[in-house]
Amino acid sequence: MESQAQSSTNTPMLKIDNLHKSFGKLAVLNGVNLEVEQSQVLVIIGPSGSGKSTLLRCVNHLEAPTDGEIYLEGQLINDKNKNHQAFEKHINHVRCKMGMVFQQFNLFPHMTVLENVMEAPVHVLKKEKSIARDIARSLLDKVGLLEKTEAYPLMLSGGQQQRVAIARALAMEPNVMLFDEVTSALDPELVGDVLRVMEDLARDGMTMLVVTHEMGFAEKVGDRVIFMADGVVVEDAPPKEMFSNPKEIRTKQFLAEILQ
Amino acid sequence: MLDWNIIIHYFPFLLKGALLTLQIAILSLVLGLAFGLGAALCKLTRNPFLRWPAIFYVWLVRSTPLLVQLFIIYFGFPQMGIDLGPFWSGVLGLALNVGAYNAETIRGGIVSVPAGQTEGARSLGMSGALTMRRIILPQALRIIIPPLGNNFIILIKDTSLVSTITLVELTLTAQRFIGSTYKPFEMYLMAAALYAVMTSTASLLLSWLEKRTRNEAR
Repeated sequence: MESQAQSSTNTPMLKIDNLHKSFGKLAVLNGVNLEVEQSQVLVIIGPSGSGKSTLLRCVNHLEAPTDGEIYLEGQLINDKNKNHQAFEKHINHVRCKMGMVFQQFNLFPHMTVLENVMEAPVHVLKKEKSIARDIARSLLDKVGLLEKTEAYPLMLSGGQQQRVAIARALAMEPNVMLFDEVTSALDPELVGDVLRVMEDLARDGMTMLVVTHEMGFAEKVGDRVIFMADGVVVEDAPPKEMFSNPKEIRTKQFLAEILQ
Repeated sequence: MLDWNIIIHYFPFLLKGALLTLQIAILSLVLGLAFGLGAALCKLTRNPFLRWPAIFYVWLVRSTPLLVQLFIIYFGFPQMGIDLGPFWSGVLGLALNVGAYNAETIRGGIVSVPAGQTEGARSLGMSGALTMRRIILPQALRIIIPPLGNNFIILIKDTSLVSTITLVELTLTAQRFIGSTYKPFEMYLMAAALYAVMTSTASLLLSWLEKRTRNEAR
């Protein structure tokens, strides 16, 4: 079953099929359908409570979908046919291929910056420490923080912490990166550095799903923007079209409010 | 006034009793830590076959007196064919007792680590066990050490209860010499002083450990 679509060249990087998620009686996602091609940068916008973050969290299974399927390179992520143990193994394997960056950074405060970035490559991928260290150093160089390798996360600014978090996710050499409002907790003057790192990443061909309120970033870096409301994708268009000529009334209202 | 001759003469014997007390305390400490960590982790899993026994264990220990627990193990168990003898009955009773209190302490520490830490680790493909070992427990430790130390100091003092199951530790040693000397004040004062030395030493060790973990974590 798993191999059926993997070899096909037309397989999208990520495919989401009729995704539903409810928390008790509260339905947050009401049938999301989405395909993301390799190297595509998909920006997800929408009012709070529209299900954007829940969608990302379902993709790497931090939230278990109530219904529907998610495929990464043709492989079913939320496979209900596996028993608990097999599923745990499967999901850990899937997560190695998906990097996630959070609004609150979630760096490990008891480890140095370098140790944060090395942790998963050494203990999950079983890489040699010296190799993991070299990779970590080059990634920290890439995000402009090579001089902070021995610092502890709480000694850094929010923007620096978030760039470490990006480096930490990249150290697993993921195929997809998920960004969940990664600049929302930052002071305005620190947002730019983080967005620049993401822009570089997009230019290098990383497949990205970006939940954000940074419309400038969406327009400049996004290949495609989707507008979500009430747990469904309301509109799906290239950024220029979305921002200059939105079709749906709810999109118009949202953009009018946010861009005024 | 105090009879110093008695004190000088009997001190070495009480010191010997104190050594047994220390031995019992250290063994129960190590076992109690294992019981506590095990029960805390079981209480935190969703698996009902692990959770409910752990909840039952902690409830049972915390709702009954230690003295009765010791009597059940030492006097009651042999009736069921489990005869551990005074030493291991004492150690097991104390370890089970402190383990239940440790379980609550450890569980509280684990729960106080923000959920984002687990999510950060799991999103990197780390398994639940690896996340617990590498990310959650080291952070919980800082929170856990002071109250855990409290439990251990109480444990040292509670070892005096095993005198009731014929273990000739510090308290029972003192009691025995009262029979031949009629000097209860001197004997119990010496015992008290030796308990104070042990608990204070433990206290110092703990504050050193506390400081060290704080420096490490920054």
